[in-house]
Amino acid sequence: MKINVDEIFDVTSFNIDREPHIVLDPQVCVGCDQRGCTNSCPARCYTWSEEDQKMTFVHDGCLECGTCYVVCHRNAFTRWTYPRGGFGVSFRMT
Amino acid sequence: MKRSFDAIVIGAGPAGSSAALTLAKAGLDVALLERGSYPGEKNMFGGVLHRLTALEEHFPEFWNQAPLERHIVKKSLTFLTEESSFNVNFDTQASDRTPYNGYTVYRPRFDRWLADEAVKAGAKLYCGCTVEDLLREDGRITGVKVMRDGGEIKAPVVIAADGVLSFAAKKAGLRRPAFDPAQMAVGVKALIDLPKEVIDDRFGLVRDQGASNELVGCTQGVRGGGFLYTNYDSLSIGLVMHLGSLSESGKTPYDLLNSFMEQPQMAKLLKGGRLLEYSAHLVPEGGYDMVPETYGDGILVAGDAAALCIVTGLNLEGINLATHSGTLAGQAAIEAHGRKDFSKRSLSCYQRMLENSYVMQDLKLYRRTPHMLHNDRIYTQYPELLCGIMDEIYRIDGTPKDTMTKLLMRTVKDKIGLKNLLADVYSGWRAL
Repeated sequence: MKINVDEIFDVTSFNIDREPHIVLDPQVCVGCDQRGCTNSCPARCYTWSEEDQKMTFVHDGCLECGTCYVVCHRNAFTRWTYPRGGFGVSFRMT
Repeated sequence: MKRSFDAIVIGAGPAGSSAALTLAKAGLDVALLERGSYPGEKNMFGGVLHRLTALEEHFPEFWNQAPLERHIVKKSLTFLTEESSFNVNFDTQASDRTPYNGYTVYRPRFDRWLADEAVKAGAKLYCGCTVEDLLREDGRITGVKVMRDGGEIKAPVVIAADGVLSFAAKKAGLRRPAFDPAQMAVGVKALIDLPKEVIDDRFGLVRDQGASNELVGCTQGVRGGGFLYTNYDSLSIGLVMHLGSLSESGKTPYDLLNSFMEQPQMAKLLKGGRLLEYSAHLVPEGGYDMVPETYGDGILVAGDAAALCIVTGLNLEGINLATHSGTLAGQAAIEAHGRKDFSKRSLSCYQRMLENSYVMQDLKLYRRTPHMLHNDRIYTQYPELLCGIMDEIYRIDGTPKDTMTKLLMRTVKDKIGLKNLLADVYSGWRAL
């Protein structure tokens, strides 16, 4: 028994909105010296590519916890809201 | 949707539903807004629902009415290293008698139940309703703007019970615009399916008895701790980690949780289980110093939104503070209606009620614990120390033993240093 965040949709349910509720300005991330979001996000929504010098954010498996919102010290978000009503993660039993 | 109410409550969690229940019972027309498809959908906790004294007035035999899992009779504190564990247990018959002191619950069931009770009392619940902004007239909050259709809902008083990130409190200028990562923790949790009989056997429980376990030393040096709780036929296991420390460590929450679950003593407890759900949520762990302004012109803040959370290292209290503050916010709003005055001055009665209750008094009492818990020695050296001492005491290897005092002094010197130990004991003593 192991948590594999790449298979998060197998255990946790989502109703994904096409409109991302979090929007990043990736230019800000290029100049960031910490990128704490990449390791702190419990759903691995942030990946930094050293090769391309690029931050990628995927909102599909977002658990809406707010970790990135708190750890980002560069305020790289052009938008950080909760998903529209009825969308996003759905904890059924937790 | 109707557009005008006596009061609006943002968030149908324990604080919001308690506020709505209090307001509705007093005959006020209250809208309870929830962004999830149902109350509790977005909530998670790895914890014990402590006795909710504020709700006992509404539910005299709470344990017969609320959808609860097990009542906690056994509380343990465990110090964990990679291969050993040192356990302190407290088990009392008194916890097996009503009124029970704490329960495990599933939040989607519990929150939905409490919101339904508010609805039965007359509150109007609107799900799938994310609040986008606050409405203002002459600098006073007079309602909210809803994200879905840009619709506006008005009321002379708004209760922000919108959770740990409280954008409502931010928009009202009551909390600082940015959080301090040192005051926030992230909880990650795995829900593990196991038959009731197996849980009863493994944890030594009968009937609906439950066990709760807090663990130190399972975070590979990241400030934080672990928890393990028994539900009726599942286990909740997880970690709560300070965000500043986690972020700097470069470690990921799921890798840490996986290692924790693979630790040999933990693996035995989870054996045969199946992963049902993985979840995460923030915890406002800054204590009293993190509490924002709780009232403004036309607005009150309750529960996690007001950072009402007590962390002592032995206990994590939140939902009891949330239901209590929600109830008081409801009462303050009722009083304001009586005065027909929703100004900041009029609503300040809420702050006084909080200060007269255990909510602010306990937060003040434990004001120093968040700082004490920022001591990195707690998370690796102390578990190593305790398990090391126990190992030497029990191990028979043909060499003569030291006296207990010698053993203790030697191990302390090796692992922590006497000066540090005394400093930590002193700061622990002051904080607790």
